[in-house]
Amino acid sequence: MVNFTIDQIRELMDKVTNVRNMSVIAHVDHGKSTLTDSLVSMAGIISSARAGDARFMDTRQDEQDRGITIKSTAISLYFAMTEEDLPDIKQKSDGTGFVINLIDSPGHVDFSSEVTAALRVTDGALVVVDCVDGVCVQTETVLRQALGERIKPVVVINKVDRALLELQVTKEDLYTSFQRTIESVNVIIATYNDKVIGDVMVYPEQGTVAFASGLHGWAFTIRQFAVRYAKKFGVDRSKMMEKLWGENYFNPATKKWTTKSADAAGKPLERAFNMFVLDPIFKLFDSIMNFKKDIAFKMLEKLEITLKNDEKEMEGKLLLKTVMKKFLPAGEALLEMIVIHLPSPVTAQKYRVENLYEGPMDDECAKGIANCDPNGPLMLYVSKMVPTSDKGRFYAFGRVFSGTVRAGLKVRIQGPNYIPGSKTDLFVKSVQRIVLMMGRGVEPIEDCPAGNIVGLVGIDQFLLKSGTITTSDTAHNLKVMKFSVSPVVQVAVECKNPADLPKLVEGLKRLSKSDPCVLCFTSETGEHIVAGSGELHLEICLKDLEEDHAQIPIRKSDPVVQYKETIQAESSVTALAKSPNKHNRIFMKAIPLGEELTLAIEAGKVGPRDEFKARARILSDEFEWDNQEARKIWAFGPDANGANLMVDLTKGVAYLNEIKDSCVAAFQWATREGVFAEEQMRGCRFNILDVVLHADAIHRGGGQIIPACRSAIYGAAYVAQPGLMEPIYLVEITCPETAMGGIYSVLNKRRGHTIGEEQRPGTPMYVVKAHLPIAESFGFTADLRQATGGQAFPQSVFDHWQLMNGVSNEDPKLIEKVLSIRKRKGLKEEIPPLDRFLDRL
Amino acid sequence: MSNSLSGPSNFADDGSAVIARQIEVHHSKLASEAQDKINACSDIYEIERTVGAIKERGYKRIALQFPDELLPDSGLVAQLIRNQTGSSVFILADTSYGSCCVDEVAAQHISADAIIHYGRSCQSPTSRLPVIYVFGKEPVDVQDCATVFDGFFAQDKAQKVVLMYDVIYAHCVESLLSTLEGEKSYTNIVKSRVETESNLGYVLSSQDVPKAAGGCCQKKSETLCRGNKQGCSTESSSSSCCRSGEKSGDLTCSSSAGGCAKATSTMQQTGAVSTGPTTTKETPGNNKRRRFGRTYNLPEGDSIEDYTIFYIGNESPTLSNIMMTHSKCDTYSYNPEKKQGRLESAQVNRALMRRYFLVQKAKDADVIGIAIGTLGVASYMTMIQHLKLLIESKGKKAYTFVMGKLNVAKMANFMEIDCFVYVACPENSLIDSKEFYRPIVTPYELEIALSKSREWTGDYVTNFQELLPDDDKIGADKIKISQAQLDAASDREDEDGSDVDSDEDDRPHFSLVTGQLKQSKRYTTNKKDSKELSALIEGSKDLTLRDKNTSVATLMSSASGEYLQSRQFKGLEVNLGETPVELATEGRAGIARGYKTEDGYGDREKEKY
Repeated sequence: MVNFTIDQIRELMDKVTNVRNMSVIAHVDHGKSTLTDSLVSMAGIISSARAGDARFMDTRQDEQDRGITIKSTAISLYFAMTEEDLPDIKQKSDGTGFVINLIDSPGHVDFSSEVTAALRVTDGALVVVDCVDGVCVQTETVLRQALGERIKPVVVINKVDRALLELQVTKEDLYTSFQRTIESVNVIIATYNDKVIGDVMVYPEQGTVAFASGLHGWAFTIRQFAVRYAKKFGVDRSKMMEKLWGENYFNPATKKWTTKSADAAGKPLERAFNMFVLDPIFKLFDSIMNFKKDIAFKMLEKLEITLKNDEKEMEGKLLLKTVMKKFLPAGEALLEMIVIHLPSPVTAQKYRVENLYEGPMDDECAKGIANCDPNGPLMLYVSKMVPTSDKGRFYAFGRVFSGTVRAGLKVRIQGPNYIPGSKTDLFVKSVQRIVLMMGRGVEPIEDCPAGNIVGLVGIDQFLLKSGTITTSDTAHNLKVMKFSVSPVVQVAVECKNPADLPKLVEGLKRLSKSDPCVLCFTSETGEHIVAGSGELHLEICLKDLEEDHAQIPIRKSDPVVQYKETIQAESSVTALAKSPNKHNRIFMKAIPLGEELTLAIEAGKVGPRDEFKARARILSDEFEWDNQEARKIWAFGPDANGANLMVDLTKGVAYLNEIKDSCVAAFQWATREGVFAEEQMRGCRFNILDVVLHADAIHRGGGQIIPACRSAIYGAAYVAQPGLMEPIYLVEITCPETAMGGIYSVLNKRRGHTIGEEQRPGTPMYVVKAHLPIAESFGFTADLRQATGGQAFPQSVFDHWQLMNGVSNEDPKLIEKVLSIRKRKGLKEEIPPLDRFLDRL
Repeated sequence: MSNSLSGPSNFADDGSAVIARQIEVHHSKLASEAQDKINACSDIYEIERTVGAIKERGYKRIALQFPDELLPDSGLVAQLIRNQTGSSVFILADTSYGSCCVDEVAAQHISADAIIHYGRSCQSPTSRLPVIYVFGKEPVDVQDCATVFDGFFAQDKAQKVVLMYDVIYAHCVESLLSTLEGEKSYTNIVKSRVETESNLGYVLSSQDVPKAAGGCCQKKSETLCRGNKQGCSTESSSSSCCRSGEKSGDLTCSSSAGGCAKATSTMQQTGAVSTGPTTTKETPGNNKRRRFGRTYNLPEGDSIEDYTIFYIGNESPTLSNIMMTHSKCDTYSYNPEKKQGRLESAQVNRALMRRYFLVQKAKDADVIGIAIGTLGVASYMTMIQHLKLLIESKGKKAYTFVMGKLNVAKMANFMEIDCFVYVACPENSLIDSKEFYRPIVTPYELEIALSKSREWTGDYVTNFQELLPDDDKIGADKIKISQAQLDAASDREDEDGSDVDSDEDDRPHFSLVTGQLKQSKRYTTNKKDSKELSALIEGSKDLTLRDKNTSVATLMSSASGEYLQSRQFKGLEVNLGETPVELATEGRAGIARGYKTEDGYGDREKEKY
């Protein structure tokens, strides 16, 4: 039974103050999708009986089979508040009906990019934390991402039933465990908090923390109980909420509230939370699970829960589930929390606009976004592509930040490389249709005002993964999403039947559209490469490629990782390279950039688009550069934005400007294909010390300068203690103590390096953190399972680039590595000699 | 060819590189004693045969083309020929492109009737002049070769093998074949043949034909070009069928080939057996294949995929060429100098995949440079025209370059070009463009990249003549379709000139180089552009607002203009009043390759003396 209609929702979409866009984020297996089911069941799309095991949001067969979410899925829900609850909403609202656009996201680290895409289009996040496992690595990652996007979190502590049934904890233990979890969430929030959104820490007494069992379909916030007891005690709700958490005790004898844990006589008092909130739950659990039905029914009467006749016949867990669902329906508690505490687009876009928009804050688009103005210029961010039933076509899934999008509207489609005022990466096309994404299906709508999430039909051909849709000619782009994972693992794929090649190419195109993170390209050796964030990610991508996108049998190579070439010292001599005609000379030295600056460039804090004086100031203030030198950065590379710099340190060279373009071209080329293994360079600074140019312009053209400058760069890097960097995973493994031995032996075998090990408080589980070279990580999960009898589950996420020991052209191990890379790339299997790059005067 | 590419530019060089260049010279070829020398010379350079041919056809002015390494013998050879025929003999200087190609242009400078080409040849068909090939003979140890052959194929004596060889070893193939078929009792060996003459029919038949052929090539009119192509192809096929016939038939056949029509009839007579430059398509009943002047007859019903190739000769462009175009066959080679044999095909797939990557790059290119690498190979002009048409039909911009031998420095001077396509003879087409700033592809690759009707299948064509539409009837259907599409595309463009919105045209394509969508720039001048242009011209009488860069020029679909805009340096700027006035200082002294002020100047001076 559907208890809302599309028309109803569409009507509500106009009242933007009554819209909530939120995503559900968490560590893997903390129960996002299951909890989401409860919410969906509340909105009536699936019957409430199956909530908890239907995983409505897992739309794909493999998601259902594996029991993990792979793609984020969106759905719009309708929720009606009661009149008396309305005053609790601290922001503007209009009427009692609310529409909640919810996105369920995957929890596995390999699919973090899906989370990023989901966060971009939402304003609030429901952070789900397992009450037994506590805060895990991915909880931290997604929370950090959410805060980076200025998204307000609320927390759900999930799987409380597990604590009650499996661990059999006492009430006080449970309370401390809750408190500890909330604290660790708040520590993360405090670390990454952005002052602009204000205090977003979570407090149970304010109702921003819910306690739930997704599986059983129940949940509560302090507010629920406060409402019940407020009547009984005749106190204000908010006062009651404060009393129900923390160091508040109720003395039943004196009927007085106190903050001391013992009464005057020194007799210990029971914590109010335990007495008023946990006690009824514990009692219900106890009576039902121990088959004391009569006690249970008595309690039910008190709680005003009526069971149907057939429900009365139930026993044990089934009865418990039914009763708890009636007692504390999850949907109600969570939706209430979402509506009350998460910001509406109107509220959120005011502070998010600076983070979202690349252009000036005073143009019409920025204003439109800040005011969430449905009559402003259209600003819509497409964050991902969702496959349609029509093969090869996609819905462009995104959020309207300003204006109103309607079918037939002619829009400007600005890709990620669009530069305002230019024609690059810009298309002007009409939107064919607009749809609401409803889990497994879509519902067509006429138009969609600012603040809502929609799917667009007919523009998928012009965007690869994401982009900005606008109607304003002067609009800048909405900021490109920054992913926490990068495609570091790659495999080469080929079709088993050569005649299928066109299908494979088309399949690769579709694959790269359908996933925000995957990268498909051809290597220099002519192989088709699919690059993903991890083994699981790649596995899913290749499966999709084979079964959906290309629909041909494919063969894949062993996974390989990319390396980076770097330098470890200043060039021992000045590298000199002559142009082919011997009439131009370039003198160059290479110096390591330093890891901090390299990271800053990679994080986009220092970049080629910055204003050069401001950039010079940052470089001289924070990275100890000479201010004059810092102003003379010629280029970032490779791809004009990488973490290598070319700096002009020449003095008084005539015609120098003339060769700048050629030098930059050579620099881009050289940093893209390093000298030893033709891997990208990283963290190198190339100083042009002096240049001698032929007086005649024809003799110092690109043809002469590009080869010369390229070999100068290679020469300079060659004599600067060249090294290789390999990508490293941060692995977090949760396991019982008995499995630890197995973990260490597997880690040791794979050059892993443990960086921390601790017991999760209140549980027998240990958490081991380790650094593991990605090159060694293939098959790690399987190995670990085998070594620990299936008790250990790793979560690996790319962490950093690590310098490998030794010098590329001296250390035998590195030489072997370099040669093997060269072999794979089909290059000559020898390290090029230095004299190929260095000339003598 | 590719070796010489890494050398310094010969443009504005001091010339030392040329002087210092090491060239392998085969002095040992000719004995020192004068009489022996002449005898040896007559033998190696087949003086008798050439003289016979010249006398027979009455050539008066003869051009001799030698590769660099044979130049020392050129004087003697010229002298011998002159003495024996009485014709004027000229030795051609350094060729502009590869020495494997016949340099017709140079020969035309002296209005030669015929060219005698010495040394290794790529056997590309020529369009204008009759050519006699003299390969020179290199010794081969036939017994050893047969033993090596045994080593590869001894298990299965009935294995199907095609025997191929470098032209300089052509003389020994018969004896090898008899050894193999006789002593070693191999049953399925197919020998390939090389041409020793080409275009001979041409001049004898009528003086008009070469002129017409040469003239046609220059003409842009498509119909004329096609007609010309037909003419060329029939000519070459007529000569090829002559070769397959007996020697006497050769003469009668060619002399009777008074015109194209006659030649065509010859072709019809020989029926399916004779083909022009063959396509890769296997046609039933037609098992004679010709590639790079090599012809082989496969037994009825066999396809080349069933065969293994045995190649005699050392590593050379010829071998890689054969392997690229026969990528589905195993290839073994025998090196007569080192007396070694080995399996070669392992590298082929890798090489092919590398080319595939270049195709992807070509797909992404907006501005394509057509670099001309031959003036001798037949129908190169048609090819260039065809490529231009193809590039422009895709809205891309084509520039044509005539720059002699390619080298890194020269090519990097054109930074606005995204990709070069090199029109050259098959042996020189495959260029490893790794060191080049921009990739260099072959016409076949460009065709795959731009034309929808062609897909990458793993088959490879190095001979660009096979790409030309209407080149021959067999297998040309596919190309015809492509041509038709092409025409249709350009037609449609004309019609839709005003409607730039049509989805097909400006939809970005998925680039496999970057993994991103690539929006192609469109440079074609369509009606809209020309309208704008005329509007601009009309409007130019009025006052025009200057833009930021104080330029009033509008760049109409000019790729290089656009590139210039994107450059940081656009010419000297006059910063009046901004540059501080300074006293003149003494500049550099000396020469560009080492100024006096530089360190190490003294050392170099010492080195000199």
